[in-house]
Amino acid sequence: MIITKKKDRSKLLKTLEGYNSFYLIGCSECASLCGTGNEEALKEMAEDLKAQGKTVTGMIVPKTGCQTLGTKVELKKDKDALDKADAIVVMSCGAGTQSAVEIYPDKAVYPSNDTSFLGNMTRFQMFDERCSLCGDCVIDKTGGICPVTNCPKGLLNGPCGGTKDGNCEVSDEIKCAWVRIYERQKKLGELDKMKEILPPKDWSAKQGPHKLYTRADAAEGDKKSKDKK
Amino acid sequence: MSFKDTLESGKFVVTAEVGPPKGTDISVMKHDMELLKGKLDAVNVTDNQSAVMRICSLAVCKLVLEHGLEPILQMTCRDRNRIALQSDLLGASVLGIRNVLCMTGDHVSAGDHKSARPVYDIESVQLLQVVNALNNGKDMSGNDLKGATSFFQGAVVTPESNPLEPQLMKFEKKVKAGANFFQTQAIYNIDKFKEFMAFARQFPVKVMAGLVVLKSAGMANFLNNFVPGIKVPQDLIDEMKAAGKEKALDTGLNITARHIRQLKDEKICDGVHIMAIGMEDKVPTILERAGLL
Ligand code: SF4
Ligand code: SF4
Repeated sequence: MIITKKKDRSKLLKTLEGYNSFYLIGCSECASLCGTGNEEALKEMAEDLKAQGKTVTGMIVPKTGCQTLGTKVELKKDKDALDKADAIVVMSCGAGTQSAVEIYPDKAVYPSNDTSFLGNMTRFQMFDERCSLCGDCVIDKTGGICPVTNCPKGLLNGPCGGTKDGNCEVSDEIKCAWVRIYERQKKLGELDKMKEILPPKDWSAKQGPHKLYTRADAAEGDKKSKDKK
Repeated sequence: MSFKDTLESGKFVVTAEVGPPKGTDISVMKHDMELLKGKLDAVNVTDNQSAVMRICSLAVCKLVLEHGLEPILQMTCRDRNRIALQSDLLGASVLGIRNVLCMTGDHVSAGDHKSARPVYDIESVQLLQVVNALNNGKDMSGNDLKGATSFFQGAVVTPESNPLEPQLMKFEKKVKAGANFFQTQAIYNIDKFKEFMAFARQFPVKVMAGLVVLKSAGMANFLNNFVPGIKVPQDLIDEMKAAGKEKALDTGLNITARHIRQLKDEKICDGVHIMAIGMEDKVPTILERAGLL
């Protein structure tokens, strides 16, 4: 899921100063799990705006903010309230915010959150970064643990000299990714994989903006994997 | 004789470090270089050590050459992507720099520009492979070079890291990637170092023991507590304590000299790399006491 944090509220209110009426859009997926775009968060935002003497013309928590098509259909139902608002505040991730930009090309749209990373929720509203979407996954070689994300240097060939009693040079609070990889591969009897020199990463797979990924691309992938079999 | 030839001839080699200053005043560094001239087989020039911004190692290597010493260009992957690294290596080559020490580099969070974006496009093992490719007239993408480099390449290893096995595996990868010589993180326990050397001797590479001069018992404790991969044994800390404030530095110099003697006399490794950290002017004293001058 996509991890979001609330922007500093007083700074956000300052950004919104020039507008008088707002429509609020949340998201029932990631932003709800993060507590940044659920109904409660939207209500709180509405209160804060009202306290500044602003009006809130309406609000919605769409099913999936980054699903532009579906969100467009959901927003249609609230057309009047949306038309009445000077600006839209989107309380999801940056992708959801840009859905609204796409659906409402003539209206001001502002994000209420900062989008941090792709993470796993390990306990209630505690998130761990596990994948940085590098486009060229190597965890088949690294015991299923991602060094690109979990090692601050993104090392592909073993620990740096900075690892200290199994912890990372950068912070005593995180375990060295390469010590974790080593321990796991040792347990699985797969240490041979750690002996293999991994080549420099192909960062071209990561460089954005990406081309559209279409149904045809997915079908192509299926075909390739069938051919291999 | 060049550093490479000396090391390969089997002679016990000695290197030390020059830390580029932060700023354009190079008078102290020049003075140190004059002092070290003729006494060392080569001088490492650190690359924005501890992620603190300083004069670039490439420029200082050139100054080292001009002062009649042989430089070892330290190159980290922290501040440059693969294009910049290769381009700097070609530059170093035409300036007459022949030795390069490939390292990943301390993270920016350790330094004085904590909000910088670190690069780490490639890392130490891969950088060694890149140097190999350049030596063979090819860049990393396989393009032909008009004129190859001829670097003698080194790498680093931390023999007292905990856990040790992954470090040893990485050492092996560095050998496979083309490292010709290794300089180690600071070692203080010679018996433990012998164990590491028993492992390292299986491979066709030269190993130089890294030595950091102790200035006080407090520094020893600091190294133990805060610097990963360094362990100063209690007997050395006691020896430093017993020396008292006035004799502390002198005792530190003696310890380093004693270790050099032992490493050389017992043929434990192929040389030493002295990291005086700000006391480059004391290196000649150490060498004298070790019987090397
Ligand atoms: S290697 Fe890349 S794709 Fe795979 S988990 Fe890590 S960042 Fe994600
Ligand atoms: S200590 Fe481990 S996780 Fe931290 S930077 Fe070094 S290799 Fe990466």
